Amino acid sequence: MVNLNAVLLISFALFSIGIVGVLIRRNALVILMCVELMLNAANLNFIAFARHSGSVSGQAFALLVMGFAAAEVSVGLALVVALYRKRDTVQVDDINLLKG
Amino acid sequence: MEHFIETIGRNMFAIFGVMALGGAAVVVASRSAVHSVLAFLFAMLCIAGCFLALEAEFLGMAQILVYAGGIVVLFLFVVMLVEVTKAKQKEVFQLQSRYAIGAVLLGVAAFSAVFRKVIFGAASPQALVLRPDLAQGLKVAEQNAQAVSRGLFADYLLPFEILSVVLLVALVGAVVLAKTERV
Repeated sequence: MVNLNAVLLISFALFSIGIVGVLIRRNALVILMCVELMLNAANLNFIAFARHSGSVSGQAFALLVMGFAAAEVSVGLALVVALYRKRDTVQVDDINLLKG
Repeated sequence: MEHFIETIGRNMFAIFGVMALGGAAVVVASRSAVHSVLAFLFAMLCIAGCFLALEAEFLGMAQILVYAGGIVVLFLFVVMLVEVTKAKQKEVFQLQSRYAIGAVLLGVAAFSAVFRKVIFGAASPQALVLRPDLAQGLKVAEQNAQAVSRGLFADYLLPFEILSVVLLVALVGAVVLAKTERV
């Protein structure tokens, strides 16, 4: 038997760690990973509430979120690779020009 | 001994959850991107364990397949591709780190203030416990997969189809973005 509050606490902590990572890291790859962490925290909430309400909609939507996360990662990594080709860096601080 | 094992079984979610939090913290804190990716893999596996503890068996397995099998490998490839010439190791954290952490802590404090009664207070009428009587359809793994597919293909067919188009666009976009200039 899982307490819903425990799920909410853990997913909240996971989301906070993800936000901190996005805000403080310089490496674009780590920032992408932290975005993934936040999406997973949202998924955890979806599944907990699906379990709590006895409906399966939350689980179906969690699966959809997983698919969107995969799409986002593929495009994000392609952007990182393209940036690395052009600017020879993945540190977001060095990427400060609008005109390549 | 049996009692001990039973206790672990009952607290499986908390154990996996705390381990996932530890993995996430290592993702943020470690200097090397490869270590970050490995900690990310660990956190994803622990979250899959959380899904299993919440009786979402199909999603737990999908989590392992999609993240451990696909996304982490992709990350590892790109890290190896990009980080090899990492002689100029600079500062890991941003200049504004202190303010960012302060802002997030402020948000955490606000959230805790709102939910203090629910989480810690004894005044809550009854503990919000997940209700097994309403989740009859989700008990066994097979039933769970059936229930998820019913939700996905009967109730939410349009979002599912939109997702397939989005995945196609992402595929084409990734190829276009990452291809070299000389054809």
